[in-house]
Amino acid sequence: MAIQSIFIVSDSYFVLPEFCAGAKTLADSVTAVVFGNEEEAKSAVNCGADKVIYCPTLENSAPEDYAAAIADIVKKESSAIVLVNNSIRGKCLAGKLGVYLDTAVISAANELSMENDSFVCRRIVYGGTAFRKECFKVPYGVVTISSGIFDIEPVSSESCDVIPIEGQALDTIKRISIEEKKEGTVNLVAAKRIVDVGRGLAAKEDLEMCHQLSKTIGGEVGCSRPVAENNKWMPKSCYMGITGVQVKPELLIALGVSGQVQHIGGINKAKVIVAINKDKAAPIFKNADFGLVGDMYKIVPALIEKLS
Amino acid sequence: MKIITCCKIVPNEEGITVLPNRELSTENAPLAISQYDLNAMECGKQMAAETKGTMAALTIGSSKTLENTKIRKDILSRGADELQIVMDDAHSFSDSLQTAKAIAAALNKIDSYDVVLCGAGSSDLYSQEVGIQTGTLLNLPVVNNVTAIRIVSDHTLEIERTLEDEVEVLEVTLPAVISVSSEINTPAVPSMRDIMKAGKKPVTILTIDDELPSYTETLEQLAPMQQERRQEVIEGDNDEAVDALVQFLKKEGF
Repeated sequence: MAIQSIFIVSDSYFVLPEFCAGAKTLADSVTAVVFGNEEEAKSAVNCGADKVIYCPTLENSAPEDYAAAIADIVKKESSAIVLVNNSIRGKCLAGKLGVYLDTAVISAANELSMENDSFVCRRIVYGGTAFRKECFKVPYGVVTISSGIFDIEPVSSESCDVIPIEGQALDTIKRISIEEKKEGTVNLVAAKRIVDVGRGLAAKEDLEMCHQLSKTIGGEVGCSRPVAENNKWMPKSCYMGITGVQVKPELLIALGVSGQVQHIGGINKAKVIVAINKDKAAPIFKNADFGLVGDMYKIVPALIEKLS
Repeated sequence: MKIITCCKIVPNEEGITVLPNRELSTENAPLAISQYDLNAMECGKQMAAETKGTMAALTIGSSKTLENTKIRKDILSRGADELQIVMDDAHSFSDSLQTAKAIAAALNKIDSYDVVLCGAGSSDLYSQEVGIQTGTLLNLPVVNNVTAIRIVSDHTLEIERTLEDEVEVLEVTLPAVISVSSEINTPAVPSMRDIMKAGKKPVTILTIDDELPSYTETLEQLAPMQQERRQEVIEGDNDEAVDALVQFLKKEGF
Protein backbone atom coordinates (compact mmCIF):
# COMPACT_ATOMS: atom_id res chain seq x y z
CA MET A 1 0.00 0.00 0.00
CA ALA A 2 1.36 3.39 -1.00
CA ILE A 3 0.13 6.86 -0.19
CA GLN A 4 -1.36 8.95 -2.92
CA SER A 5 1.01 11.81 -3.19
CA ILE A 6 4.48 12.95 -2.17
CA PHE A 7 5.91 16.38 -2.88
CA ILE A 8 9.67 16.81 -2.82
CA VAL A 9 10.75 20.35 -2.10
CA SER A 10 14.47 20.88 -2.50
CA ASP A 11 16.86 23.81 -2.70
CA SER A 12 19.41 21.40 -4.18
CA TYR A 13 19.16 19.66 -7.55
CA PHE A 14 21.81 17.15 -6.53
CA VAL A 15 19.54 15.20 -4.16
CA LEU A 16 16.52 15.00 -6.49
CA PRO A 17 17.18 11.66 -8.27
CA GLU A 18 17.63 9.84 -4.96
CA PHE A 19 14.63 11.52 -3.27
CA CYS A 20 12.38 10.91 -6.29
CA ALA A 21 13.40 7.27 -6.65
CA GLY A 22 12.83 6.73 -2.92
CA ALA A 23 9.50 8.59 -2.91
CA LYS A 24 8.31 6.48 -5.84
CA THR A 25 8.50 3.40 -3.63
CA LEU A 26 6.17 5.07 -1.11
CA ALA A 27 3.67 7.06 -3.19
CA ASP A 28 1.67 6.77 -6.41
CA SER A 29 2.50 10.27 -7.55
CA VAL A 30 5.68 12.28 -6.97
CA THR A 31 5.94 16.01 -7.67
CA ALA A 32 9.28 17.80 -7.35
CA VAL A 33 9.34 21.48 -6.43
CA VAL A 34 12.62 23.19 -7.31
CA PHE A 35 14.04 26.71 -7.31
CA GLY A 36 15.72 28.80 -9.97
CA ASN A 37 15.00 29.75 -13.55
CA GLU A 38 13.39 27.60 -16.22
CA GLU A 39 16.71 26.50 -17.63
CA GLU A 40 17.94 25.25 -14.25
CA ALA A 41 14.62 23.54 -13.62
CA LYS A 42 14.87 21.73 -16.96
CA SER A 43 18.02 20.03 -15.68
CA ALA A 44 15.66 18.09 -13.41
CA VAL A 45 13.52 16.84 -16.27
CA ASN A 46 14.76 13.26 -15.83
CA CYS A 47 14.91 13.29 -12.02
CA GLY A 48 12.27 10.62 -11.71
CA ALA A 49 9.34 12.80 -10.63
CA ASP A 50 5.99 12.74 -12.42
CA LYS A 51 6.04 16.51 -12.59
CA VAL A 52 8.53 19.29 -11.82
CA ILE A 53 7.29 22.68 -10.61
CA TYR A 54 9.85 25.46 -10.41
CA CYS A 55 9.81 28.62 -8.32
CA PRO A 56 11.72 31.41 -10.03
CA THR A 57 13.95 32.78 -7.29
CA LEU A 58 14.63 36.26 -8.58
CA GLU A 59 17.29 38.53 -7.23
CA ASN A 60 15.82 39.18 -3.82
CA SER A 61 13.56 36.22 -3.20
CA ALA A 62 14.62 33.02 -1.48
CA PRO A 63 13.11 29.51 -1.63
CA GLU A 64 11.49 29.95 1.80
CA ASP A 65 9.44 32.88 0.45
CA TYR A 66 7.48 30.41 -1.69
CA ALA A 67 6.12 28.46 1.30
CA ALA A 68 2.55 29.77 0.96
CA ALA A 69 2.48 29.19 -2.81
CA ILE A 70 3.80 25.63 -2.42
CA ALA A 71 1.26 24.92 0.34
CA ASP A 72 -1.53 26.03 -2.03
CA ILE A 73 -0.41 23.43 -4.56
CA VAL A 74 -0.13 20.69 -1.94
CA LYS A 75 -3.63 21.51 -0.70
CA LYS A 76 -5.05 20.53 -4.09
CA GLU A 77 -4.50 16.96 -2.86
CA SER A 78 -6.75 15.80 -0.03
CA SER A 79 -3.72 14.41 1.77
CA ALA A 80 0.00 14.39 1.07
CA ILE A 81 3.46 14.13 2.52
CA VAL A 82 5.97 16.88 1.75
CA LEU A 83 9.63 15.86 1.91
CA VAL A 84 11.95 18.84 2.25
CA ASN A 85 15.73 18.80 1.82
CA ASN A 86 17.22 19.17 5.30
CA SER A 87 19.38 22.23 4.60
CA ILE A 88 19.20 25.46 6.61
CA ARG A 89 16.90 27.03 4.01
CA GLY A 90 15.02 23.74 3.77
CA LYS A 91 14.34 23.77 7.52
CA CYS A 92 12.94 27.29 7.29
CA LEU A 93 10.80 26.36 4.32
CA ALA A 94 9.58 23.18 6.06
CA GLY A 95 8.49 25.05 9.19
CA LYS A 96 6.54 27.60 7.18
CA LEU A 97 4.96 24.91 5.00
CA GLY A 98 3.91 23.10 8.16
CA VAL A 99 2.06 26.16 9.43
CA TYR A 100 0.30 26.75 6.10
CA LEU A 101 -0.70 23.07 5.94
CA ASP A 102 -1.56 23.02 9.67
CA THR A 103 0.87 20.27 10.51
CA ALA A 104 4.08 19.60 12.40
CA VAL A 105 7.51 18.98 10.89
CA ILE A 106 9.22 15.67 11.58
CA SER A 107 12.85 16.70 11.33
CA ALA A 108 15.84 14.84 10.01
CA ALA A 109 14.09 11.53 9.51
CA ASN A 110 16.48 8.63 8.97
CA GLU A 111 13.98 6.17 7.63
CA LEU A 112 10.59 6.38 5.93
CA SER A 113 8.25 3.46 5.43
CA MET A 114 4.64 2.40 4.99
CA GLU A 115 3.37 0.38 7.93
CA ASN A 116 -0.27 -0.67 8.21
CA ASP A 117 -1.30 1.95 5.68
CA SER A 118 0.37 4.78 7.52
CA PHE A 119 3.41 6.78 6.60
CA VAL A 120 5.97 6.13 9.34
CA CYS A 121 9.11 8.15 10.05
CA ARG A 122 12.00 7.20 12.27
CA ARG A 123 14.32 9.81 13.70
CA ILE A 124 16.97 10.14 16.38
CA VAL A 125 16.01 11.91 19.62
CA TYR A 126 17.67 12.67 22.96
CA GLY A 127 21.07 13.24 21.38
CA GLY A 128 21.33 9.72 19.99
CA THR A 129 19.94 7.90 23.00
CA ALA A 130 16.80 6.75 21.19
CA PHE A 131 15.06 6.25 17.88
CA ARG A 132 11.53 7.60 17.75
CA LYS A 133 9.03 6.11 15.37
CA GLU A 134 6.15 8.46 14.61
CA CYS A 135 3.41 9.20 12.14
CA PHE A 136 1.13 12.14 11.35
CA LYS A 137 -2.41 12.31 12.73
CA VAL A 138 -3.54 14.91 10.20
CA PRO A 139 -4.00 14.84 6.38
CA TYR A 140 -0.70 16.57 5.63
CA GLY A 141 2.79 15.94 6.91
CA VAL A 142 6.12 17.71 6.42
CA VAL A 143 9.37 15.77 6.86
CA THR A 144 12.93 16.97 6.39
CA ILE A 145 15.38 14.42 4.98
CA SER A 146 19.03 14.34 3.94
CA SER A 147 20.80 12.64 1.10
CA GLY A 148 21.54 9.01 1.91
CA ILE A 149 18.15 8.28 3.49
CA PHE A 150 17.06 6.02 0.64
CA ASP A 151 19.17 2.99 -0.02
CA ILE A 152 18.36 3.11 -3.70
CA GLU A 153 20.20 3.47 -7.00
CA PRO A 154 18.35 6.14 -8.99
CA VAL A 155 17.74 5.06 -12.56
CA SER A 156 17.53 7.62 -15.31
CA SER A 157 13.84 8.03 -16.05
CA GLU A 158 11.63 9.44 -18.77
CA SER A 159 11.31 13.18 -18.98
CA CYS A 160 8.35 14.87 -17.35
CA ASP A 161 6.56 18.21 -17.51
CA VAL A 162 8.45 21.18 -16.08
CA ILE A 163 6.08 24.03 -15.23
CA PRO A 164 6.33 27.31 -13.30
CA ILE A 165 4.56 27.67 -9.97
CA GLU A 166 1.26 29.52 -9.90
CA GLY A 167 1.80 31.61 -6.76
CA GLN A 168 4.25 34.32 -5.82
CA ALA A 169 7.13 34.73 -3.39
CA LEU A 170 5.77 36.42 -0.25
CA ASP A 171 7.17 37.95 2.94
CA THR A 172 10.56 38.44 1.39
CA ILE A 173 13.23 39.57 3.82
CA LYS A 174 15.54 42.19 2.35
CA ARG A 175 18.87 40.67 1.49
CA ILE A 176 21.77 43.08 1.78
CA SER A 177 24.47 40.73 0.57
CA ILE A 178 25.33 37.12 0.01
CA GLU A 179 28.85 35.82 -0.02
CA GLU A 180 30.46 32.47 -0.43
CA LYS A 181 31.82 31.04 2.78
CA LYS A 182 35.53 31.58 3.13
CA GLU A 183 36.25 28.30 4.79
CA GLY A 184 36.64 25.43 2.38
CA THR A 185 33.75 23.01 2.37
CA VAL A 186 34.33 19.30 2.53
CA ASN A 187 31.85 16.76 1.40
CA LEU A 188 32.07 14.30 4.25
CA VAL A 189 28.77 12.66 3.29
CA ALA A 190 30.31 11.45 0.03
CA ALA A 191 33.76 10.59 1.46
CA LYS A 192 34.79 6.95 1.30
CA ARG A 193 37.49 7.29 3.92
CA ILE A 194 37.50 9.69 6.86
CA VAL A 195 39.97 10.63 9.57
CA ASP A 196 37.89 11.62 12.60
CA VAL A 197 39.62 14.01 15.00
CA GLY A 198 38.56 14.25 18.64
CA ARG A 199 39.47 16.15 21.76
CA GLY A 200 42.59 14.04 22.16
CA LEU A 201 44.31 16.36 19.69
CA ALA A 202 46.53 18.66 21.75
CA ALA A 203 46.94 21.63 19.41
CA LYS A 204 45.50 23.06 16.23
CA GLU A 205 48.87 22.66 14.48
CA ASP A 206 48.60 18.91 14.95
CA LEU A 207 45.75 18.84 12.45
CA GLU A 208 48.52 18.81 9.86
CA MET A 209 49.35 15.27 10.93
CA CYS A 210 45.68 14.26 10.59
CA HIS A 211 45.51 15.76 7.11
CA GLN A 212 48.64 13.83 6.18
CA LEU A 213 47.03 10.61 7.31
CA SER A 214 43.86 11.39 5.37
CA LYS A 215 45.96 12.12 2.28
CA THR A 216 47.76 8.80 2.72
CA ILE A 217 44.51 6.85 2.85
CA GLY A 218 42.85 9.07 0.21
CA GLY A 219 40.15 10.56 2.40
CA GLU A 220 38.82 13.64 4.15
CA VAL A 221 39.17 14.97 7.70
CA GLY A 222 36.18 15.39 9.99
CA CYS A 223 35.92 15.94 13.73
CA SER A 224 33.78 15.68 16.84
CA ARG A 225 31.70 18.61 18.06
CA PRO A 226 34.09 20.13 20.63
CA VAL A 227 36.88 20.38 18.05
CA ALA A 228 34.66 22.53 15.82
CA GLU A 229 32.44 24.33 18.33
CA ASN A 230 34.61 24.83 21.40
CA ASN A 231 38.13 24.90 19.95
CA LYS A 232 37.00 26.27 16.58
CA TRP A 233 39.90 24.40 14.98
CA MET A 234 37.78 23.14 12.13
CA PRO A 235 34.69 24.56 10.39
CA LYS A 236 31.36 23.56 11.89
CA SER A 237 30.50 21.77 8.63
CA CYS A 238 33.18 19.21 9.53
CA TYR A 239 31.73 17.90 12.74
CA MET A 240 30.04 14.56 12.71
CA GLY A 241 27.27 13.63 15.09
CA ILE A 242 23.51 13.59 15.58
CA THR A 243 23.40 17.38 15.37
CA GLY A 244 26.14 17.50 12.75
CA VAL A 245 27.00 15.56 9.61
CA GLN A 246 26.05 11.90 9.41
CA VAL A 247 28.54 9.96 7.34
CA LYS A 248 28.83 6.47 5.85
CA PRO A 249 32.39 5.90 4.66
CA GLU A 250 33.98 2.52 4.04
CA LEU A 251 36.68 3.35 6.59
CA LEU A 252 36.77 5.79 9.49
CA ILE A 253 39.86 6.25 11.66
CA ALA A 254 39.00 7.95 14.95
CA LEU A 255 41.94 9.77 16.56
CA GLY A 256 41.55 10.79 20.18
CA VAL A 257 37.77 10.51 19.95
CA SER A 258 36.10 9.50 23.22
CA GLY A 259 32.96 8.22 21.54
CA GLN A 260 30.01 10.00 23.10
CA VAL A 261 26.57 8.85 22.00
CA GLN A 262 25.94 12.05 20.06
CA HIS A 263 29.13 11.55 18.02
CA ILE A 264 28.62 7.82 17.49
CA GLY A 265 25.21 8.65 16.00
CA GLY A 266 27.00 10.49 13.22
CA ILE A 267 29.60 7.84 12.39
CA ASN A 268 28.01 4.46 13.10
CA LYS A 269 27.08 3.87 9.48
CA ALA A 270 30.79 3.58 8.65
CA LYS A 271 31.58 0.10 7.40
CA VAL A 272 34.82 -0.22 9.35
CA ILE A 273 35.78 1.90 12.35
CA VAL A 274 39.35 2.03 13.66
CA ALA A 275 39.94 3.80 16.99
CA ILE A 276 43.16 5.19 18.40
CA ASN A 277 42.90 6.56 21.94
CA LYS A 278 45.06 6.75 25.07
CA ASP A 279 42.14 5.96 27.34
CA LYS A 280 41.43 2.25 27.46
CA ALA A 281 37.97 2.91 28.92
CA ALA A 282 36.89 5.28 26.10
CA PRO A 283 33.48 4.20 24.75
CA ILE A 284 34.81 4.51 21.19
CA PHE A 285 36.44 1.07 21.58
CA LYS A 286 33.02 -0.53 22.01
CA ASN A 287 32.06 1.00 18.68
CA ALA A 288 35.23 0.10 16.82
CA ASP A 289 36.20 -2.88 14.73
CA PHE A 290 39.85 -2.39 15.52
CA GLY A 291 41.36 -0.34 18.32
CA LEU A 292 44.80 0.70 19.49
CA VAL A 293 45.13 1.89 23.08
CA GLY A 294 48.06 4.25 22.86
CA ASP A 295 49.45 7.66 22.05
CA MET A 296 48.16 8.93 18.72
CA TYR A 297 51.26 11.14 18.46
CA LYS A 298 53.37 7.99 18.24
CA ILE A 299 50.95 5.86 16.25
CA VAL A 300 49.87 8.27 13.51
CA PRO A 301 53.35 9.22 12.19
CA ALA A 302 54.35 5.53 12.21
CA LEU A 303 51.13 4.60 10.43
CA ILE A 304 51.64 7.26 7.75
CA GLU A 305 55.15 5.96 7.16
CA LYS A 306 54.07 2.35 6.90
CA LEU A 307 51.15 3.10 4.58
CA SER A 308 53.10 5.43 2.27
CA MET B 1 14.38 46.97 22.99
CA LYS B 2 12.15 44.36 24.58
CA ILE B 3 13.46 40.89 24.04
CA ILE B 4 11.83 37.58 24.84
CA THR B 5 14.03 34.49 24.86
CA CYS B 6 12.37 31.10 24.69
CA CYS B 7 13.94 28.29 26.63
CA LYS B 8 13.07 24.69 27.26
CA ILE B 9 13.78 22.63 30.33
CA VAL B 10 14.90 19.14 29.39
CA PRO B 11 16.26 16.05 31.12
CA ASN B 12 20.04 16.13 30.91
CA GLU B 13 20.97 13.52 28.26
CA GLU B 14 23.79 12.15 30.34
CA GLY B 15 21.33 11.19 33.08
CA ILE B 16 18.99 9.29 30.77
CA THR B 17 19.23 5.56 31.27
CA VAL B 18 18.28 2.77 28.92
CA LEU B 19 16.07 0.08 30.46
CA PRO B 20 16.52 -3.62 29.59
CA ASN B 21 13.56 -3.39 27.17
CA ARG B 22 15.41 -0.55 25.37
CA GLU B 23 12.94 2.07 26.58
CA LEU B 24 14.34 5.23 28.14
CA SER B 25 14.05 6.35 31.72
CA THR B 26 14.43 10.04 32.49
CA GLU B 27 13.59 9.47 36.16
CA ASN B 28 17.09 10.06 37.44
CA ALA B 29 18.11 12.60 34.85
CA PRO B 30 18.64 16.06 36.36
CA LEU B 31 16.75 18.94 34.75
CA ALA B 32 18.71 21.40 32.65
CA ILE B 33 18.16 24.33 30.34
CA SER B 34 18.35 22.99 26.82
CA GLN B 35 21.94 23.55 25.76
CA TYR B 36 21.30 25.56 22.59
CA ASP B 37 18.93 27.93 24.41
CA LEU B 38 21.91 29.16 26.43
CA ASN B 39 23.21 30.80 23.24
CA ALA B 40 19.85 32.52 22.72
CA MET B 41 19.87 33.79 26.34
CA GLU B 42 23.42 35.11 25.98
CA CYS B 43 22.43 36.83 22.75
CA GLY B 44 19.33 38.38 24.38
CA LYS B 45 21.35 39.54 27.35
CA GLN B 46 23.83 41.33 25.09
CA MET B 47 21.09 42.92 22.96
CA ALA B 48 19.22 44.13 26.04
CA ALA B 49 22.41 45.65 27.44
CA GLU B 50 23.27 47.35 24.17
CA THR B 51 19.81 48.91 23.76
CA LYS B 52 19.26 49.55 27.48
CA GLY B 53 16.25 47.31 27.09
CA THR B 54 14.99 44.23 28.88
CA MET B 55 14.96 40.51 28.36
CA ALA B 56 12.25 38.19 29.60
CA ALA B 57 12.68 34.43 29.50
CA LEU B 58 9.67 32.38 28.44
CA THR B 59 9.34 28.70 29.17
CA ILE B 60 6.56 26.16 28.78
CA GLY B 61 6.41 22.75 30.38
CA SER B 62 4.92 20.52 33.03
CA SER B 63 4.31 21.79 36.56
CA LYS B 64 6.64 19.10 37.90
CA THR B 65 9.46 20.64 35.89
CA LEU B 66 8.68 24.32 36.24
CA GLU B 67 7.74 24.46 39.91
CA ASN B 68 11.36 23.58 40.57
CA THR B 69 12.87 26.76 42.10
CA LYS B 70 16.41 25.72 41.27
CA ILE B 71 15.57 25.63 37.58
CA ARG B 72 13.75 28.97 37.76
CA LYS B 73 16.81 30.50 39.40
CA ASP B 74 19.08 28.94 36.82
CA ILE B 75 17.10 30.56 33.99
CA LEU B 76 17.05 33.92 35.77
CA SER B 77 20.78 33.89 36.46
CA ARG B 78 21.57 34.14 32.76
CA GLY B 79 20.59 37.72 32.02
CA ALA B 80 16.79 37.63 32.01
CA ASP B 81 15.07 40.40 34.00
CA GLU B 82 11.96 38.32 34.51
CA LEU B 83 10.58 34.86 33.82
CA GLN B 84 7.25 34.05 32.21
CA ILE B 85 6.03 30.50 32.70
CA VAL B 86 3.26 28.50 31.12
CA MET B 87 2.63 25.38 33.19
CA ASP B 88 0.80 22.74 31.25
CA ASP B 89 0.30 19.15 32.30
CA ALA B 90 -2.30 18.41 29.64
CA HIS B 91 -0.02 18.36 26.62
CA SER B 92 3.15 16.48 25.84
CA PHE B 93 4.57 19.06 23.39
CA SER B 94 6.22 16.35 21.39
CA ASP B 95 5.64 17.87 17.95
CA SER B 96 6.84 21.16 16.53
CA LEU B 97 3.46 22.75 15.72
CA GLN B 98 1.81 21.98 19.06
CA THR B 99 4.79 23.59 20.81
CA ALA B 100 4.84 26.56 18.42
CA LYS B 101 1.11 27.15 18.98
CA ALA B 102 1.63 27.20 22.74
CA ILE B 103 4.50 29.69 22.44
CA ALA B 104 2.51 31.86 20.02
CA ALA B 105 -0.43 31.84 22.47
CA ALA B 106 1.89 32.84 25.33
CA LEU B 107 3.43 35.63 23.25
CA ASN B 108 -0.06 36.93 22.50
CA LYS B 109 -0.56 37.30 26.28
CA ILE B 110 2.58 39.41 26.59
CA ASP B 111 2.06 43.12 25.89
CA SER B 112 4.61 43.87 23.26
CA TYR B 113 8.04 42.75 22.22
CA ASP B 114 10.60 43.59 19.59
CA VAL B 115 12.56 40.36 19.24
CA VAL B 116 11.79 36.76 20.11
CA LEU B 117 14.95 34.66 20.32
CA CYS B 118 15.16 30.89 20.12
CA GLY B 119 18.07 28.46 20.19
CA ALA B 120 18.98 26.29 17.21
CA GLY B 121 16.91 23.38 18.49
CA SER B 122 16.07 21.71 21.79
CA SER B 123 18.66 19.24 22.99
CA ASP B 124 16.03 16.52 23.49
CA LEU B 125 13.95 16.57 20.30
CA TYR B 126 16.09 18.92 18.18
CA SER B 127 13.46 19.55 15.54
CA GLN B 128 14.86 23.04 14.80
CA GLU B 129 11.40 24.08 13.64
CA VAL B 130 9.60 25.55 16.66
CA GLY B 131 10.98 29.08 16.25
CA ILE B 132 10.17 29.15 12.56
CA GLN B 133 6.64 27.85 13.10
CA THR B 134 6.02 30.27 16.00
CA GLY B 135 6.99 33.27 13.89
CA THR B 136 4.97 32.08 10.92
CA LEU B 137 1.89 31.55 13.11
CA LEU B 138 2.26 35.13 14.36
CA ASN B 139 2.84 36.39 10.83
CA LEU B 140 6.26 37.75 11.76
CA PRO B 141 9.53 37.57 9.83
CA VAL B 142 11.55 34.49 10.80
CA VAL B 143 15.24 33.73 10.26
CA ASN B 144 17.09 30.57 11.28
CA ASN B 145 20.76 29.75 11.85
CA VAL B 146 21.66 33.34 12.69
CA THR B 147 25.38 33.77 13.38
CA ALA B 148 25.53 37.54 14.08
CA ILE B 149 23.11 40.35 14.92
CA ARG B 150 23.78 44.06 14.50
CA ILE B 151 21.26 46.53 15.90
CA VAL B 152 20.62 49.19 13.26
CA SER B 153 17.70 50.99 14.92
CA ASP B 154 14.79 50.33 17.28
CA HIS B 155 12.96 48.73 14.41
CA THR B 156 15.67 47.13 12.31
CA LEU B 157 18.31 44.46 12.72
CA GLU B 158 21.05 43.50 10.34
CA ILE B 159 21.36 39.77 10.56
CA GLU B 160 24.04 37.38 9.38
CA ARG B 161 22.69 33.96 8.51
CA THR B 162 25.17 31.23 7.69
CA LEU B 163 24.02 28.68 5.14
CA GLU B 164 25.88 25.55 4.02
CA ASP B 165 28.14 27.32 1.49
CA GLU B 166 27.14 30.96 1.80
CA VAL B 167 26.70 33.74 4.30
CA GLU B 168 23.66 35.99 3.87
CA VAL B 169 23.24 39.42 5.40
CA LEU B 170 19.58 40.30 5.86
CA GLU B 171 17.72 43.39 6.97
CA VAL B 172 14.92 42.37 9.29
CA THR B 173 12.10 44.64 10.38
CA LEU B 174 10.94 44.12 13.96
CA PRO B 175 9.16 42.47 15.60
CA ALA B 176 10.68 39.22 14.40
CA VAL B 177 11.47 35.69 15.57
CA ILE B 178 15.11 34.73 15.31
CA SER B 179 16.73 31.33 15.87
CA VAL B 180 20.39 31.71 16.65
CA SER B 181 23.12 29.23 15.80
CA SER B 182 25.28 27.88 18.61
CA GLU B 183 28.17 29.57 16.78
CA ILE B 184 26.85 33.05 17.61
CA ASN B 185 28.50 33.31 21.04
CA THR B 186 29.92 31.44 24.00
CA PRO B 187 27.40 31.62 26.86
CA ALA B 188 28.85 33.18 30.02
CA VAL B 189 28.84 31.11 33.19
CA PRO B 190 26.63 32.89 35.76
CA SER B 191 28.58 34.55 38.57
CA MET B 192 27.74 34.18 42.27
CA ARG B 193 26.18 37.64 42.07
CA ASP B 194 24.01 36.63 39.09
CA ILE B 195 22.78 33.62 41.02
CA MET B 196 22.06 35.67 44.15
CA LYS B 197 20.14 38.25 42.13
CA ALA B 198 18.15 35.59 40.27
CA GLY B 199 16.11 34.68 43.34
CA LYS B 200 14.71 38.20 43.59
CA LYS B 201 13.57 38.56 39.98
CA PRO B 202 9.85 38.43 39.17
CA VAL B 203 8.21 35.22 37.93
CA THR B 204 4.84 35.43 36.19
CA ILE B 205 2.56 32.49 35.50
CA LEU B 206 0.72 32.83 32.20
CA THR B 207 -2.40 30.89 31.38
CA ILE B 208 -3.30 30.10 27.82
CA ASP B 209 -6.61 28.68 26.79
CA ASP B 210 -5.97 28.08 23.11
CA GLU B 211 -6.68 24.69 21.71
CA LEU B 212 -3.42 22.78 21.24
CA PRO B 213 -4.03 19.62 19.23
CA SER B 214 -1.17 17.22 18.60
CA TYR B 215 -0.19 16.53 15.02
CA THR B 216 1.94 13.44 15.33
CA GLU B 217 1.72 10.20 17.21
CA THR B 218 4.77 8.53 18.72
CA LEU B 219 4.49 4.83 17.96
CA GLU B 220 7.68 3.71 19.63
CA GLN B 221 10.75 5.19 21.24
CA LEU B 222 13.62 2.84 21.85
CA ALA B 223 17.36 2.98 22.31
CA PRO B 224 19.18 1.96 19.13
CA MET B 225 20.49 -1.56 18.90
CA GLN B 226 24.20 -1.60 19.49
CA GLN B 227 25.86 -1.86 16.11
CA GLU B 228 27.85 -5.07 15.88
CA ARG B 229 31.54 -4.18 15.90
CA ARG B 230 34.43 -6.59 16.19
CA GLN B 231 36.16 -4.67 18.97
CA GLU B 232 39.61 -6.13 18.33
CA VAL B 233 41.56 -3.95 20.72
CA ILE B 234 45.33 -3.99 21.18
CA GLU B 235 47.14 -2.09 23.92
CA GLY B 236 50.31 -0.35 22.86
CA ASP B 237 51.69 2.29 20.55
CA ASN B 238 54.93 0.58 19.59
CA ASP B 239 55.96 -0.64 16.17
CA GLU B 240 54.28 -3.98 16.69
CA ALA B 241 50.93 -2.41 17.51
CA VAL B 242 51.08 -0.19 14.44
CA ASP B 243 51.98 -3.22 12.33
CA ALA B 244 48.91 -5.00 13.65
CA LEU B 245 46.78 -2.05 12.55
CA VAL B 246 48.42 -2.03 9.10
CA GLN B 247 47.74 -5.77 8.82
CA PHE B 248 44.11 -5.21 9.79
CA LEU B 249 43.66 -2.47 7.16
CA LYS B 250 45.27 -4.68 4.50
CA LYS B 251 43.04 -7.61 5.42
CA GLU B 252 40.00 -5.33 5.08
CA GLY B 253 41.16 -4.34 1.61
CA PHE B 254 42.22 -0.76 2.32
